Amino acid sequence: MNSIFANSKDVFLDIVNAKDYVQLDRVSTIYQSLKDSIKKPLKMILLYGRPGTGKSMFLNKLYKDLSSTQKVYLYQTPILDESEFYKTLAQDLFQTKYSGELNFTQFMKIVESKDIEEIPVVLLDEAQLYSEVLMEKIRLLSDTRTVKFVITLHKTEKEDIIAKEHFQTRIWETIELENASSTELKIYIQKKLMKANCFDSANMFTNKAVSRIHKITKGNYRDTNKLLYTLFDLYSIYENNQQLSAIKTNQVSNKIIEMSAIHTGLIDA
Amino acid sequence: MLNIIELEKRWFKYKIKSYIPHISISISLIVISSVFFLILNDVQSSPKKVSTKKALPLTSLSEKKIINKVQTSFQEEHVQKKPIILPVVTQTNITKNNFQNKIQLSPSLDFMKKMQNSLQPYYSNSANRYNPLQKVEEPKTEIVVQKEVITQSYIPKPQKRSINIKRQNTQNDIYEIISRFKKNSNPALSLFVAKKYYELGDYEKAYNYALITNKINKNIESSWIVFTKSLVKLGKRDKAIATLKQYIKQSHSSGARILLDEIYAGNFK
Repeated sequence: MNSIFANSKDVFLDIVNAKDYVQLDRVSTIYQSLKDSIKKPLKMILLYGRPGTGKSMFLNKLYKDLSSTQKVYLYQTPILDESEFYKTLAQDLFQTKYSGELNFTQFMKIVESKDIEEIPVVLLDEAQLYSEVLMEKIRLLSDTRTVKFVITLHKTEKEDIIAKEHFQTRIWETIELENASSTELKIYIQKKLMKANCFDSANMFTNKAVSRIHKITKGNYRDTNKLLYTLFDLYSIYENNQQLSAIKTNQVSNKIIEMSAIHTGLIDA
Repeated sequence: MLNIIELEKRWFKYKIKSYIPHISISISLIVISSVFFLILNDVQSSPKKVSTKKALPLTSLSEKKIINKVQTSFQEEHVQKKPIILPVVTQTNITKNNFQNKIQLSPSLDFMKKMQNSLQPYYSNSANRYNPLQKVEEPKTEIVVQKEVITQSYIPKPQKRSINIKRQNTQNDIYEIISRFKKNSNPALSLFVAKKYYELGDYEKAYNYALITNKINKNIESSWIVFTKSLVKLGKRDKAIATLKQYIKQSHSSGARILLDEIYAGNFK
């Protein structure tokens, strides 16, 4: 039988699963606005933010929620080859298999030949990895209003340029995701743990402990997940070594937080 | 599996590192505050030092005062020893507005002493009450006192204490005073000459100058005394007695009465 610390550790595995989506007030508002935007006759929706702010999770959640009601296609891994990208879209969106090379002109002919009743929504994660030429063709495709794109971008200097130069005039909706505040982070951690029935572990996170975690991770969800995974891993090891008496268990030990941060590289020791 | 021991070591190092800035800041604060307090104490104590430093000059001042007192007492003693008639003499000097010429006189000290000795009985008798004729006698010492004033003025300057008093012979003194008398007809000078001639035994000239003095100012007691004494010495005892009686009747001079008694008694011949 796994201990509470081992169970809690698994909660913070760095995987993107819509089931693990944690409803936070601010994030819920953003998500609702995104859902509303999809219903509008928009060409493109840009979802951007720093790495680890939950863009992928957001996209997954959206896919999960919309897939039952409309045609939604999620591409978590970028399809960097242009021909492959068109072929994948032709097959998924229009059920057209193409054996040879497919270029943009040929793909547009396929699109025009199809009688589209419902505009499909294509969700492209990590869009910053697509080439500039392919991004320009995605834009042209969105202009035909036969396909709606929701793309996510890392908010870096380079990606900001992409957003400005290629999509500023065409994207009708831009949504920015940010790191969590200390309060949001506490809710995020506790909700996540409680979802997995780790109530004792959830109670260990006092404001002081969360504040310390927030200081280390700056509210970044991915960093927080990494840190807490290591944290509960450490607790598990202490538990297995029967050394729990040496550390706090009623609340998260500052020592364990710092040790986890050192191990994950969030603290340079 | 995490290496707990290694991680704890890294954490311990990290804690030490993290405490270094706090320790260094607190040490520097302690040092700064201690330096500040030291400076503050110095600043607070420095006025005391100044006061003690100032106290020394004060003591030196008091010493100076004591020295000055000693000096002034010394000077006072000297002044007291010197003719007390000094202020009176200066008064007469001012009234006769011939101050500068008188200063130039430099009579011999020997002569001065003789004059004083000779006049002692009269002063002793007439010192306690006011007598208009007393003023006549004072110019006699006035010349001497002027010299004393000059010498006193040199007292604060020890290097100039060596006073060169020219000892002229008596005859030259008389001629000089006579020449001055001829210029300003000062009865004090003529009286002085009369007394001087009397001292020298030239009773006729003493008689003449005393007569001149009496003509200028008939209220000078010493002049009348020199006049009558000269008459006695010239063998004109009756005339001297008559003159004295006449003068006593007018002035009620005790000095003149004593002299008259002495003449009657035969003590003065």
